[in-house]
Amino acid sequence: MPSWPEKPRLIGKSIPRIDGLAKASGKIKYPSDMRPEGTLFGVMLYSPHPHAKVTSIDTAAAEKMPGVKGVVVIAKAGATLRYHGDDIAGVAAETEEQARDAVRAIKVDYEILPHVVTEEDAVKPDAPKIVPSGNARKGRAQTTGDPEAAFKEADAVVEAEYSAPVITHVCLEPHGLTARWDRDDAITAWASTQAVGATAGELAGRFSIPVTNVTVLTEVMGGGFGSKFGADVWGLTAAELSKKAGGRPVKMFLDRIQEHLAGGNRPSAAGKVKIAGKKDGTVTAVVATTSGTGGARGGSNFPFPYVYAIKNVSREHTEIFVNGGGARAMRAPGHPQGCLIMEAAMDDLADKLGIDPLEMRLKNLNDGDKVVDANGKPTISRAGIYREQVPIGAKLIGWENRKPRGQNGKGPIKRGYGMALHQWGGGGTAVNKVTCTISPDGSVELKTATQDIGTGARTILAIIAAEILGLEVKDVISNIGNSTFPPGQGSGGSTTSPSMAPPAFNAVSKARDEFLARVGKAINEEPADLTLQDGKLDVKGKAVMSWKDACRKLGMMGVSVTEGFAEGLASGGVAGCQFADVTVDIETGVVKLNKIVAVQDSGLILDMLTWRSQVYGGVIGGLNYGLFEERVMDPGSGLMLNPDMELYKLAGLSDIPEIVVHAHDTPEMRARGVIGVGEPPTISTAAAIGNAVTNAVGVRVNKFPMSPMNVLNALNAASNKEGKA
Amino acid sequence: MQAFEYAGPSTIEEAVKSLTGSKSGVALSGGTDLISRMKDYVTSPDRVVYLKGVKPLAGITETKGGLSIGAGTRLVDVIANKDIAKEFPALQQATLEVGTPQIRNMATVGGNLLQRPRCWYYRSGLGLLGMKDGKSLVRTGDNRYHSIFMTDGDALFTSPSSLATPLIALGATATLVGEKGERTIPVEALYQVPKTSDDRELTILPGEILTKVTIPEPKGKNASYEARQKQAHDWPLVLCSVSLDMNGNEVNNGRVIIYGVAPIPWRSEAAEAAIKGKAITMETAAAAADAAVKAAKPLSANGYKVGLTKTVVKRALLAAAGNRYWEEA
Repeated sequence: MPSWPEKPRLIGKSIPRIDGLAKASGKIKYPSDMRPEGTLFGVMLYSPHPHAKVTSIDTAAAEKMPGVKGVVVIAKAGATLRYHGDDIAGVAAETEEQARDAVRAIKVDYEILPHVVTEEDAVKPDAPKIVPSGNARKGRAQTTGDPEAAFKEADAVVEAEYSAPVITHVCLEPHGLTARWDRDDAITAWASTQAVGATAGELAGRFSIPVTNVTVLTEVMGGGFGSKFGADVWGLTAAELSKKAGGRPVKMFLDRIQEHLAGGNRPSAAGKVKIAGKKDGTVTAVVATTSGTGGARGGSNFPFPYVYAIKNVSREHTEIFVNGGGARAMRAPGHPQGCLIMEAAMDDLADKLGIDPLEMRLKNLNDGDKVVDANGKPTISRAGIYREQVPIGAKLIGWENRKPRGQNGKGPIKRGYGMALHQWGGGGTAVNKVTCTISPDGSVELKTATQDIGTGARTILAIIAAEILGLEVKDVISNIGNSTFPPGQGSGGSTTSPSMAPPAFNAVSKARDEFLARVGKAINEEPADLTLQDGKLDVKGKAVMSWKDACRKLGMMGVSVTEGFAEGLASGGVAGCQFADVTVDIETGVVKLNKIVAVQDSGLILDMLTWRSQVYGGVIGGLNYGLFEERVMDPGSGLMLNPDMELYKLAGLSDIPEIVVHAHDTPEMRARGVIGVGEPPTISTAAAIGNAVTNAVGVRVNKFPMSPMNVLNALNAASNKEGKA
Repeated sequence: MQAFEYAGPSTIEEAVKSLTGSKSGVALSGGTDLISRMKDYVTSPDRVVYLKGVKPLAGITETKGGLSIGAGTRLVDVIANKDIAKEFPALQQATLEVGTPQIRNMATVGGNLLQRPRCWYYRSGLGLLGMKDGKSLVRTGDNRYHSIFMTDGDALFTSPSSLATPLIALGATATLVGEKGERTIPVEALYQVPKTSDDRELTILPGEILTKVTIPEPKGKNASYEARQKQAHDWPLVLCSVSLDMNGNEVNNGRVIIYGVAPIPWRSEAAEAAIKGKAITMETAAAAADAAVKAAKPLSANGYKVGLTKTVVKRALLAAAGNRYWEEA
């Protein structure tokens, strides 16, 4: 069984990403920067109504407008539009301005249908049914043990409600692609996608052409977070418009408004939770009725209870349908929601029991929860990982400075600390291939149809090859982001590295073996005596020639090996914890983050620099969820009120605190092989912030985000209650 | 955006002529508000008159004891001005955090004063009052950022200018030039409460250009304080500017102007009365803050603003008196 080098030269070091300078300097072209010769500009017409039927659509005027090269209707007469932003038609024109004017010249008659856009309105008895079966689909309650009996025997019971709103992905680069018909059965598309392969498949399927004739290119891209796995309606429309325009490329990228409306979102989550425990900190029961909305499509369920072992549990989830843009996977789907509800309840129970919530968390870990080792055997206790991580995080945040809830002094400025635990899978899949080619000129190329969504995927493949061949990272050409290459992993679920590192390792190892066999033959040395290091070929440990000279010994034919997955190099299943230190001004409700600590394991870390960058990114995404983000829907008009980057709030530089990233990089973790780290570090940030704010102000702020409105409302509600009591 | 004619005058006279010669012409300066409104089809003028080529519009000059600030002066220049920092801290403090550095490098005093409301109903194309079928969408909708005063009417948006707040507190005047000549009015007279969707919240007439604001000689103390959710690129939730004409330790006359609570910059006569003849202490500032919100009638989702306004008024008064108690911890 293959295994990673025990004393790696490059793996695990902090290595700058190989395309970093090209990205930072603007030299490299993102898909939305591409303007192949003859490019036409595409613009989508989308629904101005939250719920309507198209009774007629007339494109005649639009088609006659200056510069217009094609109009494609998606929502024909009779089609139902289910949200503000739903797709109606697309236009391609010589300039973006002409396309925008033409879109406005499409005449659409609507029959306006009644709408509901908020969870609250959707479940009212007299609410219009926007799906025939009703706006609320209640799942079956899942019960283990006897919660009611446990409540009776408990030393403390907390009943509370917690919620978080729908948020959107807000990818820096919008969704879209530029499509060009190269001939009557071939398409090239420059796509901002997390999956070049799936996007090619979708385009091929839509136009019934061989998938091998579709080339989807994603050299780099500006973020997807789970929302960019296919061609999408607008991408298919671009290809159709290109066909209409005789194959001229059509560039179709959403504008920021459409990004918010139609580009996907993380469902809302709300929970009524009853949780009980014993004086010693054992959590004995939790009952939760939860709900959420993923728009008209569903998908709001989330894991609950989360992380902890609780004997008596009952949980029932209701899916609520509204006239809103559909949910898409968003960085750790479901986990941030489950985490913030669970961890708020844990904190509230600890407060009622009068014990340190950190200790209570450690006491209720799930010792039956085993994650796999590199051989796929469930031998590693996740609880054990938490027990190592939590004290590290506590030390880094200064947990000893934390005071019990509400004991933070008399002045208006309150300091608070909070924490939360999370978990994720993140294993690899075994279906991918990597080709490693060593050419007689000394160049080394890796090829595979995965893509780098900003995580460093390109760089880690080069690191693996350089490690095995005794070269520097810059000596390796890491060729990805092309759907015609050997099949590669879609970048989702923290699966890319554990899926792609093993085939890369295998391909490069086999290529090296073949290389040494052939070079050995050429120079009359036993291949077993040959090794590669420091850019040189060694015979019995002594350098005899440079890498380039050795490659010349290959003659005319280089070495090219395509290999797949193998056990022993990757696994899945991580723990992780985060801590927040905040200051809250209780007279304004303004929350200031002082510091966030993230302690994260993810097996063998291939590049410490890009790994840390992913954790920073996860924490920043998480703090946006905790403090700022909210899709605001207007009940009256049914429109999203903040489809922008002004009133849809996101942290700016001065909102981002010191972030301390601690890699839980132990020998035991390294032995597990490669595990992805995309999702885990974004899961528990919001939960930790919510708990820190609550610790600071002395009352539970039960609605996310931790905005002045929600903080002041929680304080007011508590003081009104106190006044009445 | 819709196609438009473009004019690039170099004198005020030419600019006025350009504007009056069009049906729905608008003046463009920094463009940080107008361009986004045009892109969103909220404003679709037939002519855009670019004012940055009109050199006399920019610059800060001393007048009899006070200052004259050209409407084309960029916010970054207001912030950097030493006289403003020294004599009119209320203005500097309210300007410091407007938008982002990029916005402050482009945006002008005139543009800040005459920007249109940031109300998300208005910006969504639902009209200045956000009405549908004769009913207010705002009143039954998400009004978390809307008014808590004058809420009996239909204009529920809040007046958006951070600079109007201190300028009114400081008793500044605005000079407008139109076809019929020049007129000078108090800055507060730039604003009105629209009664119908066809009314505007600005009193500037078609064809008029705001040329400058003039702040009279400073008296006593002045300060601004604002609360905002984000530290970077955000609007104040509530901002208060105070100008206190002092008689020794006591307030002879004070002006208290609040942003974020009404469709016009809100002058709180109740707070002004509460501090008259008193020294500014924690107690008197708190009493004035209570008085300031006594008549507040919040909407369904912005009750939190009442308490917030109290805090902001209290802190603006105390800041003027040199007490920044909230920074102690």
